[in-house]
Amino acid sequence: MEIFAAQLLNGLSLGSMYVLLVLGFNLMLLVAKIIQFAYPHLVVLSMYVCWGVLRHTDNMLLVVLASVASCIVVNVAIEPIFRLLAKRHGLDINVSFVVSMSMALLITDVMSHLLNYGYPIAFPTEWVGKSIFSSGLIAFSAGQAYALFGGIAAVAAFFYLLYRTRQGRVLRAISENSLLSSIIGIPIIKTRVLSYAIAGLLGGLTAVMFARLLGSASPGLGDFVGMKVVAASILAGLGNLKGGLVCGLLLGIAESMAIGYLAGSWSNAIAFMMMLVIMLIKPEGLFGIEA
Amino acid sequence: MKKSSMLKVEGVSVSYGPVRALENISIEVDRREIVALIGANGAGKTTLLKAILGVQKVQSGKVLFLGDDITNSSTDKVANMGLGLIPEGHLVFSTMTVLENLQLGAYHNPQDFNDNLENVFESFPVLRKRIHQTAGTLSGGEQQMLSIARTLMSKPELVMVDELSLGLAPKVVSEIFDILGDLNNKGYTILLAEQNAKKTLEFANRAYVMETGRVVLQGLTQELMSHPEVRRAYLGSNV
Repeated sequence: MEIFAAQLLNGLSLGSMYVLLVLGFNLMLLVAKIIQFAYPHLVVLSMYVCWGVLRHTDNMLLVVLASVASCIVVNVAIEPIFRLLAKRHGLDINVSFVVSMSMALLITDVMSHLLNYGYPIAFPTEWVGKSIFSSGLIAFSAGQAYALFGGIAAVAAFFYLLYRTRQGRVLRAISENSLLSSIIGIPIIKTRVLSYAIAGLLGGLTAVMFARLLGSASPGLGDFVGMKVVAASILAGLGNLKGGLVCGLLLGIAESMAIGYLAGSWSNAIAFMMMLVIMLIKPEGLFGIEA
Repeated sequence: MKKSSMLKVEGVSVSYGPVRALENISIEVDRREIVALIGANGAGKTTLLKAILGVQKVQSGKVLFLGDDITNSSTDKVANMGLGLIPEGHLVFSTMTVLENLQLGAYHNPQDFNDNLENVFESFPVLRKRIHQTAGTLSGGEQQMLSIARTLMSKPELVMVDELSLGLAPKVVSEIFDILGDLNNKGYTILLAEQNAKKTLEFANRAYVMETGRVVLQGLTQELMSHPEVRRAYLGSNV
């Protein structure tokens, strides 16, 4: 029981990171009609930015700002590439998938050749923080608290933006019907760029929380997480935000349970077995495709 | 002095790849007029509306709106200038509520939102009752009304309607035509593309008859209605 409770907490904090990544990924899929496979890689890149800034200052605000700024800047900077592709090939998500995969490789290569000589980076121990609560096997670190509660706050803010504000309405309109949106006067390109920026903002925050949760990062982390983000999104049904919320959490919990009860290295196999089985039974995902 | 021209299409040609869809089309719409484009399916009516709005690229010719050259301008810019299109197939944002659809329609015109909403509800009382309902759950006729209402929220100078009657019951069509008539009385200029020639010719002041991408006839609707060619091809009479 204690193992279960402990792993549930671990799973929720890890899962909330997946949720954030799945939301940013799906937002670009819905609004910009692209598969941005390199999105988790960009988040890992922002973790490197956090790490770099931390070597000069331990001002938390500066670290968060740097992380958010870098993620927004890079994500928005690659938008014209996808816009150009759409111009030449039409809005074909397969094309964007292949292109973003090469971007992901490129980012991973940059991290493994240029940053910290390719060695994994470690965040200061106080960055992860001591255990703020412990009882028997259950230990809840400050980093986990940041990930879980920060994650909840960010997800809530995201859904508020999307469903309660004017800009959110416009984003949803384009995701439902971009031609009709332009006919009623909504600027499509501007709003698409906005979706990249929002995903960047979300990604920058995720990077800080992820760093506090994991305490380290390596060049391979992007691939590792990227696979799972795509898996969770497909499991939920591509473009399904609420489904992504559930599946991101489920994936985090399933993975933690696997670590708790089985040999830890099985956690990936379990995640992808889950995907395989669900895809065989429900090819449109658990909650239905909305993209 | 000549009446003020609101929309002027001068010699516009459009191709879909190697296929010529519009060949040297010229039409004109004056302020407060109701002008109809009639013709069979595939005659190019929708393509012409899309070309005016910048959705479809124009290969040659010019589109002037309120004196400005808007040829191949971006659609959202043209819409913002006051050109409202009610697209074919009573298109609404079906996952959103009626209110959200109307708020989106007011994207460029957020001032006086409540007054505009009130005006729109006056024309379409049924929408007031459905204000928090998801648009996808409305009937076809109600969706068409919402589509018109959404366009009116932007206070367009010119309302273009594509296939108003498509897929709707005749009773609903009559009702919507009545509402469009009211709107015209209130000062709206209307350009109507319709397959339903009889109803449209009774409704409009002037019409252009299109066939395979060309304007083959034009004139006042009373004159067109007695034109033997129009009677034979569009009004189903064997004169």
